Amino acid sequence: MNCEQIGELLPDYLQGELRGEKKEFVELHLAQCAECRDEVAVWKKLALLPMEQPSAESRLRFEAMLHAYQEGRERTSAGFAREQHAARWSFWQWLRTPVGAVAWSAALLLIGIFAGNYFGNRAARPTPGQDEMAQMHQELTNMRQLVVLSLLTQQSASERLQGVSWSRGEAQLDPQVTAALLHTLRYDGNVDVRLAALDALSRHASQPQVRSGVLDALQQDQSPLVQVALIDQLVEWRDREATQHLRNFEQTPNLNPAVKQRAEWAVSKLN
Amino acid sequence: MLDVRNGAGERLGVLFDRYQAPLYNFYAKLTGDRTLSEDLVQEVFLRILKYSRSYQPGTPFRAWIYQIARNARVDHYRKTPKHITFEPEMAPPVKPKDAAQESQETELLHRALMGMPEEKREILILSRFQELKYEEIARLLGCELGTVKTRIHRAIQELRQIFRQLESGAAGSAAAAPAQALPPRRAGT
Repeated sequence: MNCEQIGELLPDYLQGELRGEKKEFVELHLAQCAECRDEVAVWKKLALLPMEQPSAESRLRFEAMLHAYQEGRERTSAGFAREQHAARWSFWQWLRTPVGAVAWSAALLLIGIFAGNYFGNRAARPTPGQDEMAQMHQELTNMRQLVVLSLLTQQSASERLQGVSWSRGEAQLDPQVTAALLHTLRYDGNVDVRLAALDALSRHASQPQVRSGVLDALQQDQSPLVQVALIDQLVEWRDREATQHLRNFEQTPNLNPAVKQRAEWAVSKLN
Repeated sequence: MLDVRNGAGERLGVLFDRYQAPLYNFYAKLTGDRTLSEDLVQEVFLRILKYSRSYQPGTPFRAWIYQIARNARVDHYRKTPKHITFEPEMAPPVKPKDAAQESQETELLHRALMGMPEEKREILILSRFQELKYEEIARLLGCELGTVKTRIHRAIQELRQIFRQLESGAAGSAAAAPAQALPPRRAGT
């Protein structure tokens, strides 16, 4: 055997994983070849390098980091509950903003129209008709959607988050709101807003554009957190059609290994 | 690990005690920078907290943690462009006089290791000091088992070459000016 052939066996030999004939070949070669023998000697010498030990402060830093992380999480979850509680309060403040003013004016106009119709028709029809109530309901829904759409285009991430959470109340999403939420999911610069948009969309899997929008977002999003959430969503929907997309996605160059693993797991789940 | 996944951050302490030394050793040997190595170890555990949901129960935890460790280092260098670092204090502690020869060898080995291209150094460290099996390294680097063995062999060849060159250089300069043979260094901190 020449040096090249021995070289193939050498790594296993060095780990003590070579047995029988192969081991004898290597040892025979080493007895004759000074260069290969020296390679083995240098490998063994590496044991002289001591294990580097971290300093004692390392543990303290870790504890401080853990503490800060847990505190941050508690604050975030408490803050989220508080935010939801305060949402009604901030509504009054929100009415002062330009978007609020538009919505407010629209609401006044609707009340005017409703009152006009109601009192105008009273003479002809003693009780308000059911169709008018339905119309009124529709108008209010539209207004709510208008507010969602306005909020989603705001500069501040917290206002956009509020817009997303308003849309959660809808049993059926207006196509325009769906499109706005999908746009938010794909292009919003804030990870939290994108995650909230995904959550709001998760209940509307029956709409085909929601599913395809989530797949598009997966191809585009760079944040591992959002990528994992998108993958999990596809698994939750049991979207078998997504399998091929996920396979392609796994091949994305420079993909975060944790995300790649998640995608592999998702493919195995969906099959 | 399941506990960490379920959000029990305190359990992370157990993992920290088990893995901080091997991870630190990995980074220190790879980068030659103690401070950076400690920072990176902290970063790894922060990432474990943040991304614990991405760990799949039943898969080897060691492979997962090394994957995070490699990514943390790559991300660090992406943010902070790399510059060559060699801290004198990274050299092994001074040994007693009767071990003088061994001490010099250790120092030369350390220098030879740092003189290798990073990819080769990494695979040598993973296989020699981190006690990872070749199969685990293959999974970690995303290549075939055969490729790992070939790369390890090439790395050993190169290490040998650099080490022997340094050795002959050190012997030459030692003969000429014994006091200048080794750079000044502090005892290990």
